Amino acid sequence: MSTTQAHDAADRARRLQRVAELLAEAVTPQEVLDAILTDGVRAAEAHAGAIGVLSGDGERVELLAQRGYDPEMMSSWATFPVDAQLPMSEVVRTGEPVFISSLAERNRIYPDLAHLGQQGHALVVLPLAVEGAVFGGLSLSFDRDVEFEEERRELKMAFARQAAQALARSRLYAAEQAMRERMTFLAEASELLASSLDYNRTLAGLAHLCVPRLADWCAVDMLGPNGEIQRLAVAHEDPEKVRWAHELQERYPPDPDAPFGVSNVLRTGEPEFLPTIPQELLDLALGDDDELRQIVDELGLTSMIAVPLNARGKTLGALSLIAADVHEPFTSADFELALELARRAAVAVDNALLYREAERRANAARALAYVADGVVLIDRDGIVRHWNPAAASITSVAEEDALDRPVAEVVPAWEALTTHVPLVAPGAPARPVTVPIVIDGDERWVAVSGVAFEQGTVYALQDVTEERALEKTRSDFVTTASHELRTPLAAVYGAIRTLRRADVELSEEDETQFLEMIEAEATRLARIVEQILLAGQLDADAVELHVTECDPSEIAAGVIESAQVHVPETISLALDVDGAPKISCDENKLRQVLVNLVDNAVKYSPGGGRVELRVRNGLGSCVIDVVDEGLGIPPGERERIFEKFYRLDPQQTHGVGGSGLGLYICRELVERMEGRLSVESEPGRGSRFTLELPAR
Amino acid sequence: MLVVDDERSIRLLCRVNLSASGIDVLEAENGTKALELARRERPDLVLLDVMMPDVDGWTVARELAEDDRTREIPVVFLTARAEAADKRMGQQLGGVGYVVKPFDPVTIADFVEGVIERVERGEREQLTRGISSPPDR
Repeated sequence: MSTTQAHDAADRARRLQRVAELLAEAVTPQEVLDAILTDGVRAAEAHAGAIGVLSGDGERVELLAQRGYDPEMMSSWATFPVDAQLPMSEVVRTGEPVFISSLAERNRIYPDLAHLGQQGHALVVLPLAVEGAVFGGLSLSFDRDVEFEEERRELKMAFARQAAQALARSRLYAAEQAMRERMTFLAEASELLASSLDYNRTLAGLAHLCVPRLADWCAVDMLGPNGEIQRLAVAHEDPEKVRWAHELQERYPPDPDAPFGVSNVLRTGEPEFLPTIPQELLDLALGDDDELRQIVDELGLTSMIAVPLNARGKTLGALSLIAADVHEPFTSADFELALELARRAAVAVDNALLYREAERRANAARALAYVADGVVLIDRDGIVRHWNPAAASITSVAEEDALDRPVAEVVPAWEALTTHVPLVAPGAPARPVTVPIVIDGDERWVAVSGVAFEQGTVYALQDVTEERALEKTRSDFVTTASHELRTPLAAVYGAIRTLRRADVELSEEDETQFLEMIEAEATRLARIVEQILLAGQLDADAVELHVTECDPSEIAAGVIESAQVHVPETISLALDVDGAPKISCDENKLRQVLVNLVDNAVKYSPGGGRVELRVRNGLGSCVIDVVDEGLGIPPGERERIFEKFYRLDPQQTHGVGGSGLGLYICRELVERMEGRLSVESEPGRGSRFTLELPAR
Repeated sequence: MLVVDDERSIRLLCRVNLSASGIDVLEAENGTKALELARRERPDLVLLDVMMPDVDGWTVARELAEDDRTREIPVVFLTARAEAADKRMGQQLGGVGYVVKPFDPVTIADFVEGVIERVERGEREQLTRGISSPPDR
């Protein structure tokens, strides 16, 4: 070896050393590739370099990176079979380097390369191997012919070993990095899924978590109750695109029978992974729709993963990921991650559904426990299967004494109770029948309705005793009201019939009496009708009060003044005011009450006497007494006189009888004005009605 | 004939119209007085109101039927109570007629005279069974 040669060799060794240092510093696969293909290729005195690696299935060589070659020419070498008659394939197959000194030599050994007309001179392809396992090759092309003597070969081999080490290390590092990222991602996803039982929200959140880290697009579709596809969420970095995706979904709803894609995944429960979306599939999906084709072309879809959300043998939905313009095409690692993600999401959805179902059942049980109506479920064999607390209360049979026993034993009268209850089909309007049942000697009225279904019959029992009593009160009111009307009607009609008798000559006195009778009884009729209306309004709580500030002594004075006109001469009216406070009340209603009380006082003083209105100051109230010296009220009747249609012996009154509603109305009106009306009386000595209204 | 009603106007109607047919009329404004008059005067018929304070018409009819002195006196109810149940009550108490208010006082004399005639013919039980009212007004 000459001094120059020795110097050159030392120089090459130094440059290789420098490359070795650069490779040691490079961390990511990209940095390593850069170091190999720029500094490394330069140090090896080559003008171009390329790195190919064995594909996952070991069938092909995939070109990882190149520097210095014509990119257009290289595009056809992106991947090629391991068993091809090519230097890189041979190196990967054999693990032995190939050194070619000239183009002629190359074309002789590899005729496949010759017909490509590729220019070049010397060519070296070195195996990339770690611990004896070849995982790829490094090719170096030279722009001149080179004789590769031993020392050069050794150096090139050393470079290849260092490159292989660095590349393997960086790929391991990258894989670890990716693994860590995936674990972090899964942890985040799990946390999100566990954050709420509202899976609509968590799944939408999951779709957003996937973008852009995992994919350019992410969508979640759920299977609806009738097998329809319900899009739950679409995520993309650009909200505008999301909006547009929704529009697209509406315009082109998914075909549930589509042979691939989300529909297929939802139908079969099997995942789909298309590392590259074949054009034929897109053509099939797009059909003749040019507009849609244009849209999809613009999207630039490259890669697709669709994974089912399966839980307990059921497909609940699907998660789909799409790589388009930004994201790299998906790898099998992405697919694995998507499967894991879908598995976790499915568990979360299933949990939420189970919880919801449990909650629904708990609510249903709660509703049955607290509903006021009795609910009884009887199976086809007549055995009680449900007996809610209201049913227990209505029938006085406890749940534990009823459950799992024949209903005929639980309630002996059950058959009699339900025999007239028509059983309707589920969903048909209930047809309740009201029947009496006697429990502990107490008669209750129960509205029973029944619905028959496949497993038995469910009965609803409603205690309507109160309603029935109310109904009876109402019909009694109508009956009594009609009685009250019949008597004055009889008088009016009878008087007219008698007056018109041609066969009887009436005395002048009788004639006058009949005419007066017609007038008085017609007046009474009108008053009864008015009072019935008012009592009805009071019962329905439909009386409107117009409350203003009033001076009770003024109202009392007015009442006395107008009564003065028609009272018999035997009655002397008086008003005594002793410092009455102002009150808030409905002036007209108060006047009505006082007129009624004064009229009563006069009516029940057939022997005449004093009727006095006393207005005075109570404790924070205004007290008005209506005092008479008349017949008085027997002790047992003092409360009853305030009942509807209750009347004191009317034969003792002069002339027109009452409607039986006056005092009822008085008390109701006074109570609505937050006052009180009471009576004190001494039979034969007179009565005192006391009205107390709160002061302003 | 005894007319029992707490309403003065009804008594007046009955008195005038019955008198016009030559019937002597006694009046009572309550149950107690009715029983007293019936026992003392033994009228040919009692025209009896039902709803009266203290002693009502049902009670009067029951007591009349339980008293040997008044058992034979036929009772015609004259009442504002128009329900079937009330009419049945009148029947159970042995009434021979049931007149619902408002009624035509012009025909009342013919009606009660017809009733008295049939009672005298021994048809009292038939009258009670088919308890009837005067022709509609």
